[in-house]
Amino acid sequence: MNRFARVFLILVLLLLSSGKSFAIVEDELVKTTLLDKNIKKPYTNLNYNYEDTDVVDVRLSVLEDIKNEKYLHEGQIIKFKVVRDVKYKNKVVIKHGTIATAKVETIITNGMNGIPASVIFGDFNIEGVPWSKLTSTYEKFGLDLSLMVYPIKWALTILPPTGTFTNFIKGGHVKLKSKNVITIEYHPNWN
Amino acid sequence: MKKIILAIVLMFILTPAFASDEAKLAQVQSIQSRIDDCGARILNANKIEKRVIFAYSEAEKSGLLEVDKDLTRRQVIVYSGAYKFVDSEDELAAVLARKIAIAFKSYDGVFNGSLKSMQMKAAPKKFEIVADKIAVDYMVKAGYNPLGMITYIQKVYPQKRYDMVSNKNLTSKRLAIIYEYIYTKYPYFLVNNKYLDNVHYQNFLLTSQENRRKLQEKIQNGTNERVKYE
Repeated sequence: MNRFARVFLILVLLLLSSGKSFAIVEDELVKTTLLDKNIKKPYTNLNYNYEDTDVVDVRLSVLEDIKNEKYLHEGQIIKFKVVRDVKYKNKVVIKHGTIATAKVETIITNGMNGIPASVIFGDFNIEGVPWSKLTSTYEKFGLDLSLMVYPIKWALTILPPTGTFTNFIKGGHVKLKSKNVITIEYHPNWN
Repeated sequence: MKKIILAIVLMFILTPAFASDEAKLAQVQSIQSRIDDCGARILNANKIEKRVIFAYSEAEKSGLLEVDKDLTRRQVIVYSGAYKFVDSEDELAAVLARKIAIAFKSYDGVFNGSLKSMQMKAAPKKFEIVADKIAVDYMVKAGYNPLGMITYIQKVYPQKRYDMVSNKNLTSKRLAIIYEYIYTKYPYFLVNNKYLDNVHYQNFLLTSQENRRKLQEKIQNGTNERVKYE
């Protein structure tokens, strides 16, 4: 082997050994449960222009009652319907009765000291209306008892440990009935 | 003559000090600008209609008696102790998105959000997980890879023995919940995993096998029950 070939071989070996020296562990869970599914890339919101200030309210109600956040799971799609015509410049842009969907983004369980449960709905989707023109998220809260609990807790601090008993008062669950109306915003001139 | 020589000597002594100060200032400005850009991108992409600002602090971490500025002033402070672990834009976005989630939530409710801030302070473990989850959503909308949050937490947060009496969750539990959240809502990032050759992500895979096995059981059983991660 001539000198050049030897130097070349050494360089190639050095180059190979300088790379990643650990074996890549594949994620077995992904391999077994996700690889055969058709998964779309989540959309991003990077082409925005918030110059325009026009805004119209969109009133929605759920198609099926939500009795408790425990019956929901994150990522679940919830169906709503538009309860009133949405007009912009005297023109109906979203008709009453149009079906809208939203994704359950995050579920926050109720907690001690009267902290209420809440559900964050996001990814609102109404036929013919781009996502970017609608409110990003809407949060529905359960009954908040903390405004009542904290003063009691502080008043009881002079009699320890009675104040800690308020820890056992839990906040309300999220309830959303079909007769309840939630309002999101529609920005007709946003990108 | 003596005065001139003295002036020249003084000039040579003092100039490097000024130069080093200026270099340091330029470095801090560059970090601040990077944080501002990343933070503003997250705010805009997620249509966050409330003001949140960002500041870089050269202090290692917040003082013991210092108030939480995320909640009181809606000012996200990135301490040098946290910034030094940031290896990529995804990881920086993870740091900021968590704090933005807290700052934004502090606008909710009565007394201009004072009650909500109190609730977040009173239930730090609950809202630690909430912030992690909301941050994942923010990152995705802003075009960042949420797996960056896993690598960042894997590097930075220590693993305590128990979390029963702590005001923080076990880091392994947090990571498992974030992983499940990404798996459920954004599986695209796991299928097209750009972090598979990242040593810290590999370390997460290595140390989270038991928790991922539990998630696999949940998926195979088709239940929506909450997994008890360790």
